[in-house]
Amino acid sequence: MRIMLVGFGNLGRGLSRALVQKASFLRRSHGLIIRVVAVVDEFGAVEDEKGLNLNELLKVAEKKGTVAAYKGGKRGKLALKVIDDVEADVVYDLTPTNIKTGEPGLTHIKSAMLAGKHVITANKGPLVVAFRELDSLAKRCGVEFRYSASVGGAVPVVGLAKKLLAGNEIHEIRGVLNGTTNYILTRMSKESVPFEIVLREAKELGIAEKDPTLDIEGIDTACKITILANSLLDMNASLKEVKIAGITRVRPEAIQLAREAGYTIKLIGIAKRGLLEVGPKLVPLGHPLAVDGTLNAVTFKLDLAREISITGFGAGPKETSSSLLGDLIDIHRTLGS
Amino acid sequence: MLIRLEMELEDVPGQLVKALEPISRYGGNIQSIMHQRERKTPLGRLPVMLIFEIGERARLNRILAALRAMGVQITRIGEREGAVRTTVLLIGHIIHTDIRDTIDRLNALKGVMVSDLSLAMGAIGQESAARMTIVADDEKHKNLAISKMRSIADRKELLMITSLEAE
Repeated sequence: MRIMLVGFGNLGRGLSRALVQKASFLRRSHGLIIRVVAVVDEFGAVEDEKGLNLNELLKVAEKKGTVAAYKGGKRGKLALKVIDDVEADVVYDLTPTNIKTGEPGLTHIKSAMLAGKHVITANKGPLVVAFRELDSLAKRCGVEFRYSASVGGAVPVVGLAKKLLAGNEIHEIRGVLNGTTNYILTRMSKESVPFEIVLREAKELGIAEKDPTLDIEGIDTACKITILANSLLDMNASLKEVKIAGITRVRPEAIQLAREAGYTIKLIGIAKRGLLEVGPKLVPLGHPLAVDGTLNAVTFKLDLAREISITGFGAGPKETSSSLLGDLIDIHRTLGS
Repeated sequence: MLIRLEMELEDVPGQLVKALEPISRYGGNIQSIMHQRERKTPLGRLPVMLIFEIGERARLNRILAALRAMGVQITRIGEREGAVRTTVLLIGHIIHTDIRDTIDRLNALKGVMVSDLSLAMGAIGQESAARMTIVADDEKHKNLAISKMRSIADRKELLMITSLEAE
């Protein structure tokens, strides 16, 4: 299978390392031989139809800051040109998220589909802005479209619902979908440290971004709820329909009051028909959603299975490569190639 | 079942503790006590209102018998079978926005009562937090109470945190 990576930041590099590490496993267990025929970042691109040496590419990109420094690389070559020019089966869009325009991912994905290439993305932006459009474009173009890594990181939220729970009607999805806020709430709960101090430490540890607004205001969770509503509940929801409250007003004293009554406070996203909501909630101690640290957790309410919950790591390049690779194997199986 | 019991006690030290003893002895779980010293009866007795949970009617009868044997006057007893409780957390300028008014508005709803309140005061100028237990006759009344609380919270700019089960 020939694949192309658009975006070579944490996720692109994490996926590349997993591809190197698991090459023989993939061949042995899945009959899958993967050739990375092109990699693009914001400064340029590198192509090789015989397959790039990923170990070498990782080293060069780390040292020089761009894949274009790899031998034969072209500085300034744009992603769209590569998507059009290079023969590939699957295009990974791993570019940064922009929840307002969905760009540049949105254009990448559309172009790839129109060029008859299957698409895998971890990018929430295009999914939040244009899920329906992309979903129907994929069908029209006869290509596969996967986005497991956009929600839950390594936690197989979309796959579990679409495949293994396919016989159920999903009444409701609830989840802890943002590791940064969960880390902050956990630290406030365990150590009674004020919000501002925990946030500062989270930034120092790289758990929170320099501008953590999207996380702490609940917007990142709301994006994920929008994606889940559209992809799993067959809704046509937009981000602005989600009622959002963040965690900036939650103080250790409030969590202490909750604990005394047998609860903890978590930032919960809820998607069901008629209600899309993100906000802090009282979660009973011991409940499947009462997970600590940077963990994510999701509970499905279903007509047959009643309730199913899953927990796992919601971020991190290695963890997320589990979903990115899973999507590729899934496409491989779907195509039966 | 949830029992609401109103009784009158002699105004002598130790009476309240004595009156509570049979409730815990027979497995009652006391949820709220309102001891209203300022509302003495004409005979100088103190009205006390209790809410407790108890498993079976037989145990309730034993409690009532024990109280009567102690000379406690039971003035009212109400059973709230199927009563539901929910916990709500509020964050904001709770005192400045008149917590008493918030509670009164909820209590004004039929079939709804605030049975417990805990406060964590913020430093000067900072927000406080409060935890409230609301008891309602049934699910319908609970939902009414929550939507009422939500509109009060919106108006008073309080962040309202409900429990997962409440939705």
